[in-house]
Amino acid sequence: MISTQVALLKRELWEHRAIYVTPLVIALVIAVMSVTGQVAISAFDQVVDLAILGASNLGEAERKHAITVLMISVSVLFVFAMWILTIFYTLDCLYAERKDKSILFWRSMPVTDAETVISKLITSLLVIPLVTFVVLAITQIVVLTISSIWVSIRGADAGHLIWAAAPLTENWTATLIFLLALPLWLSPFIGWFLLVSAYTKRSALLVGFLPIILLPMFEKMLVGTKMFSTAIFVRSGQMPLFHGLDTFGLWDDNSEQLNALGRSGLSLLSMIDLGGFLTSPGLWLGLLVCGLFTTAAIYVRRFRDES
Amino acid sequence: MTSLISARNVSKTFGSLRAVDNVSFEIEKGRITGLIGPNGAGKTTLLKAVLGLTDCQGSLSVLGLDPFKQRKELMQNICFIADVAVLPRWIRVSQLLDFVESVHPRFSRSKARELLSKTKIPGQAKIKELSKGMVTQLHLSIITAIDAKLLVLDEPTLGLDIIFRKEFYSNVLNDYFDQERTILITTHQVEEIENLLTDVMFINDGRLVLNSPMDQLPERYVELQATGDNAELARKLNPIHERDMFGKKIMTFEGVGRDRLKALGEVRTPAIADLFVAKVKGATT
Repeated sequence: MISTQVALLKRELWEHRAIYVTPLVIALVIAVMSVTGQVAISAFDQVVDLAILGASNLGEAERKHAITVLMISVSVLFVFAMWILTIFYTLDCLYAERKDKSILFWRSMPVTDAETVISKLITSLLVIPLVTFVVLAITQIVVLTISSIWVSIRGADAGHLIWAAAPLTENWTATLIFLLALPLWLSPFIGWFLLVSAYTKRSALLVGFLPIILLPMFEKMLVGTKMFSTAIFVRSGQMPLFHGLDTFGLWDDNSEQLNALGRSGLSLLSMIDLGGFLTSPGLWLGLLVCGLFTTAAIYVRRFRDES
Repeated sequence: MTSLISARNVSKTFGSLRAVDNVSFEIEKGRITGLIGPNGAGKTTLLKAVLGLTDCQGSLSVLGLDPFKQRKELMQNICFIADVAVLPRWIRVSQLLDFVESVHPRFSRSKARELLSKTKIPGQAKIKELSKGMVTQLHLSIITAIDAKLLVLDEPTLGLDIIFRKEFYSNVLNDYFDQERTILITTHQVEEIENLLTDVMFINDGRLVLNSPMDQLPERYVELQATGDNAELARKLNPIHERDMFGKKIMTFEGVGRDRLKALGEVRTPAIADLFVAKVKGATT
């Protein structure tokens, strides 16, 4: 049972190489940007030296703050890429095997449709975030190392300036929690995309997104209510992992929330409210919806005649 | 004898179309049965029902299991090749062996390796880099390395050249088949499997029009070549099919004594392909 699931998860990594290629490409881009950025900045000799001097004289809290901002700026790209990757993966994973007819081979093995579809759900909820996290953490180390080399060349103490101030364990714990919580929170979309992937005969992307865009519009026009738009857009924006933080609010200038974040000293772990997240009805309702869509995907794979 | 597959009044409908219409048959252990029919006759649908890939009406039991409800258990004892295109194109040969080894309790990797060593298939190649013939060789090697009771082949040699086709069937016979194993096969190239079969079933418009052991065919079916008055006399014996060849009448008879026909011309047992045409055309005219 477990060996079957492990084999199925391996299959996903073999088939969908984008799961690890995407974060690796982003890591490469960030590393290159980091090197070229620092070479470019080096042109402003005096300003840079002053900045490093200033940083050396900062208190530990400020340095920790600065390193955390640097680590977050690395993470942001990975988080966006992870979610886009998850969308494309879930829309493709049950569609591709029907398109190339390899489903007939997979179904000739003693593996149930439920085991197969669940392996794709586990890939979306667990494997993609974990792979992303590993590459992200290594990239952060690489970026900090590049910065260390750079400040060392300029005569500063990288150990004091960067490594002593880098709250690696704390930031990584917070990042890992966030990466695992995000797909759980967005799981209704994951379930829906899996169903579309199992069902659609063409253009999974279009079939996946049209109802998400059209349903709230029709609902507003025909019934006048906003149930779907609330369900879809509030879920996209308001993840109850951050003590009531509205992520949409972050885009507003002069946001009270941003100021509050600054006041908290930007400790990533203290921003996270895991208990609040795990006890929020929205999470469990979402997981229920995901479960229903996934069950439907299993039934479609089982009952659909591919001839 | 034990029935490996037992079908009673099996039907499958798609809307108003009856793809399989009230079909009943038994297949026993150690037999090689050919399921032969024109395109759209219901062969593949019937095979899919046997493999648990589609549900059906009536009673169908394969290895004592309900194929649709107990597909996972069934697949531990059944192998099938649907056609040459179904192995995923992105996978490497070694990954394929890893996967089958992990999920199939009856797969022997060493046997698969031994079979593959006789071919030119490189272990690290991707399926998309292999020729059609090699993909079929690979698929058959994997399946032969699975200790399964029933092998189902649905047009397994479609699109292959004659050398690969001959080799495929010789491998099926030499490496896979023994008295404990059973094969159910469909193909258009009837002539190539004629000598392999122990039993034959013809299906047309979803119905079985013939179901017989091969060794009983000569008793039931006779082909007569006759000319002139003899042809006229023979026609009175109600041939199920008649065709012209080089000025002679070739007639196929069912249940008419060979000795009786001998007096009217040259008699022989019809080839499967000719018998198929006789039964299918006879059934429609």
